[in-house]
Amino acid sequence: MGYAAARGGLKAIEAAERLVARERVLGESQWLESKQMIEKLRLAVDRVMGEGGLWDEHLAASALRQAEGDPIEAAHLLRSYRSTLPRLAYTTPVDVDDLTVLRRIVPAFRNPPGPQLLGRTTDYTGRLLDTDDETSQRTAAEKMAAFIEENVTISKAIDGDAEPTDIRQPRRLLDLLRDLDAVVDRRRTDDPEPFDITRHPARPPATRSARLATMARAETGALVNVWYRNILGPDGYLHEITLGEVRHGRLPVTVIHPLTGDPVSISDVRVTEVEAIEDLNGIDEDRGRFDVGYGLCFGHNEKKAIAMANLDIACERDKGRSFLEQSILLTTDGLDASGFLEHLKLPHYVTFRSMMERKAAIRQFQENT
Amino acid sequence: MDRNRRSELLARANSSELTAMAEAFLSRRSIAEEIQVVNPPEVGMVMMQVREPVCKERFHLGEVVVTRAEVAVAGVRGWAMRSGTDRETTLAAALLDACAEHDVELAAEVQALCERTADRIAADERREWEELRATAVSFEELD
Repeated sequence: MGYAAARGGLKAIEAAERLVARERVLGESQWLESKQMIEKLRLAVDRVMGEGGLWDEHLAASALRQAEGDPIEAAHLLRSYRSTLPRLAYTTPVDVDDLTVLRRIVPAFRNPPGPQLLGRTTDYTGRLLDTDDETSQRTAAEKMAAFIEENVTISKAIDGDAEPTDIRQPRRLLDLLRDLDAVVDRRRTDDPEPFDITRHPARPPATRSARLATMARAETGALVNVWYRNILGPDGYLHEITLGEVRHGRLPVTVIHPLTGDPVSISDVRVTEVEAIEDLNGIDEDRGRFDVGYGLCFGHNEKKAIAMANLDIACERDKGRSFLEQSILLTTDGLDASGFLEHLKLPHYVTFRSMMERKAAIRQFQENT
Repeated sequence: MDRNRRSELLARANSSELTAMAEAFLSRRSIAEEIQVVNPPEVGMVMMQVREPVCKERFHLGEVVVTRAEVAVAGVRGWAMRSGTDRETTLAAALLDACAEHDVELAAEVQALCERTADRIAADERREWEELRATAVSFEELD
């Protein structure tokens, strides 16, 4: 017990830990394998990696198991682990145009360059709770697997092995809008060094790279809340937004080979990417064109990437006039928020006794006057 | 196959294949007596920098857990970096890289392993696309 003005309790703390550890590891069910979580609870594992700011599916699954399924606590464990590791290198700047899509939809445009590819999603499926037992669910899944297998064979026979690059790495809608001169051009040529939020806290006014990095690591629920409050809530910043790109896919991890000096791709990470098209209507804005916000985060987490893209452009347009940037930078980190919240459970006996004494003194003063 | 491509494929090769080949190479006296671990396997992170498309600005997406190692065989250096925390496999990959630079005969074996890896990746990607293509959609607009 290291909290101010209280100590002791070691035996009780150890007993409490034993209760958690016994049920978490033993219980009446089987050991929860990391592979099982990566396969079957993939969105939870992805969320933990995103909010932990660290890509490693096995470590994230271990964290989720240790945290008994609490994603914020799991992200906390991952960040703690991260703090023990050296940073060996920076990747070469990975161009997001190199993303190989597993899913790609363009809600704004019916016929974008490249395919509208639903990928692995239940976006268009009714939200009905499946209460069937394991045998029934397995039978149904096996039928679906057989259907996929049958159709894969057919498509193979028709089209061979062709997989053109423009299908897996389609041109983005933003490029088309640029061709049509329908979007303001904010491309920079000075290539500023990115802000490192793991070394310095980002505070307003911050660079865009600090905001993007903060949101990429933000807690999903917090980011969605800031977005929702911004677009519909008391902030009153009502704006017309349409999603350009929503992508889930693989990005290469490219580092410089120390013996050749050339970039080599050593791995991939999965990311979710979103472009949000904003209708500019301000008096000081180019009302004949759109602007675009950008969101990118580890794993498959569309809620987070959509909120991020919307908040990126909202922040850009806000130009520090409201507290939006401050909200993003200071209140969306899961570790910050939950750390402060959790600490409230620690003994506050001394501070509260002091408050009680003050109340008593005030009451006595009121009674005497 | 150039050295960069070899490193990319050693980074993605199956763990069991890499360690089995490294064990086989180490059983040769010429390798076992000449090997020097320059940098033992180290687990760390690489910070992923991305360049976004709106302003063409770089930002930090997050860090990726990797393991790297460096091995020399008769003074010829080999390097490997793989995602994850598997020290043994990364050391094996660095050893194969050094052996491939050091010995033409061993280079052919390493190249064969790399080609199998490239074939496996290509087959996985083809299969992946064959499954995904059924989800390509063209929604109709209502009048």
